[in-house]
Amino acid sequence: MAHADSAVPKKNRAARFAVLFPFDWDSVQHISAEPVPYHLKKWWFCLGGTPMYLFVVQVVTGIALTFYYVPSPDHAYASVAAITQHVRFGWFIRSLHKWSSNLMIVAVFLHMLRVYFTGAYRHPRQLNWLFGFGLLGTTLAFGFTGYSLVYEQLSYWGATVATNLMEAIPLVGPYVAYFMRGGPEVGEQTLTRFFILHIGVLPTVIVVLLALHIVMVRLHGVAEFTFPGDNITEENRFFRFWPEHATTEILIGVLLMYILTILSLIFPAHLGSQANPTVTPEHIKPEWYFYFNFRLLKLTSLNISVVLTLCIGLIALFWPFVETWLQKKFRLPDKASVIIGVVAFMGFLILTVWESFAN
Amino acid sequence: MKLSKGEMMTRRKWLASALMGGGLLLSYGALAVQGLLYVLPEQVKSKTRKLFAGQLSDFHEGKVKALFDLQGNQILVKRQADDLKAYSTVCPHLGCRVQWVESDKQFFCPCHRGVFREDGVAIGGPPADAGQRLAEVPLEVDRAAGVVYIEVKDIKRRS
Ligand code: FES
Repeated sequence: MAHADSAVPKKNRAARFAVLFPFDWDSVQHISAEPVPYHLKKWWFCLGGTPMYLFVVQVVTGIALTFYYVPSPDHAYASVAAITQHVRFGWFIRSLHKWSSNLMIVAVFLHMLRVYFTGAYRHPRQLNWLFGFGLLGTTLAFGFTGYSLVYEQLSYWGATVATNLMEAIPLVGPYVAYFMRGGPEVGEQTLTRFFILHIGVLPTVIVVLLALHIVMVRLHGVAEFTFPGDNITEENRFFRFWPEHATTEILIGVLLMYILTILSLIFPAHLGSQANPTVTPEHIKPEWYFYFNFRLLKLTSLNISVVLTLCIGLIALFWPFVETWLQKKFRLPDKASVIIGVVAFMGFLILTVWESFAN
Repeated sequence: MKLSKGEMMTRRKWLASALMGGGLLLSYGALAVQGLLYVLPEQVKSKTRKLFAGQLSDFHEGKVKALFDLQGNQILVKRQADDLKAYSTVCPHLGCRVQWVESDKQFFCPCHRGVFREDGVAIGGPPADAGQRLAEVPLEVDRAAGVVYIEVKDIKRRS
């Protein structure tokens, strides 16, 4: 045998495989052996992994739903009804998909709050706040395009209101709205576009952003915190990613599956009446995570609410930089950000709760 | 100015790479522009057509009558004395459908609680804050024949 690999003994399977797949496994071990700071033993610091876990659930259930869903105005509603009523376990997969999306948004919000109130977004991690904010935007876009696909009344009118809302954004608005609708008004093209955004464009965006987000965390290392009562020594300052931290994450994953299952069993996703472009239903509300904006829309004229939302959004997006600027200009102490954060979050909460009780 | 051979070469090289870079940029740019145009569908001017709306005597004083355009959307026609006005039911705020509430003699938009007076002027909710009104649909009365026409958007036809 004149083969070059004949030197490898036949019995050594691992070595033979390594020749076929020349990959440096040691480097993987090295990469995944990130030292984890002490404070991550507290569960609320593990919230960042939660949206990612839920995203995986979304991918799996989403692909499953695509087997039966038909993205056309004539068939969309019927296909969702078929999934809910006839397909084996269809209702369960649909409910998981719905609940997981809701929990994902909650988890993203909670993770952001944690990062914000611990000041983890500050120098040198400003960039990662931007990526994280991009992930929030993408997640919300997922939610919006997702419930438009069901093609029930709320889907249709939600899409109408939202695209008209985008049209009111200065400068780019009309183009964005035209692109989203595929024409001057919501029509045949719109559903297909939302579908492609939901299953093609947004997943690509979110995977890229997630990768950047995680790479940044690895490059900077996790921000370290100490709390009163912590007894940190040189030995216990860090613990291992594997198996200690990974176990925590796995436990959180199991807990999430449990919660998702319970929610799907008790509150399965239901189906409203079919979209009717000629009649707006008496009671119309978006998903809860758009309540604050919905309330804002009712409170003021269109232009004011759009400009207000835009301003708040931009300030939040660039907050790490805005804060530095404010600190330089007005000698704002670090603590001021806590007050600003509480006020902003309270505002969000009040508008959301207000809307959920209003009819 | 005399250039040495070496300098000539660098200048030539620079020119070559500049041209090549510029060419690449232009062609990818053109691709990007075309790609953008690809996702923005062509705007077709919607045609309108006149629709027979009924006999003049079908429209009663002070009453609102609902008609439908070719897409099945409601158009509300109101008669005040001899004056007929047709209103589109598309809310000027964000495009939901308003309803005529006979008991209040008002139009109501369920999306953000917009309220409109009989003559289409907004008096409540965000449309009022923005000083909006319901769009009027062109309406024609042929008094000699006693018939009413409205002008609505034509549905797409393959020509
Ligand atoms: S769409 Fe009618 S009030 Fe907003």
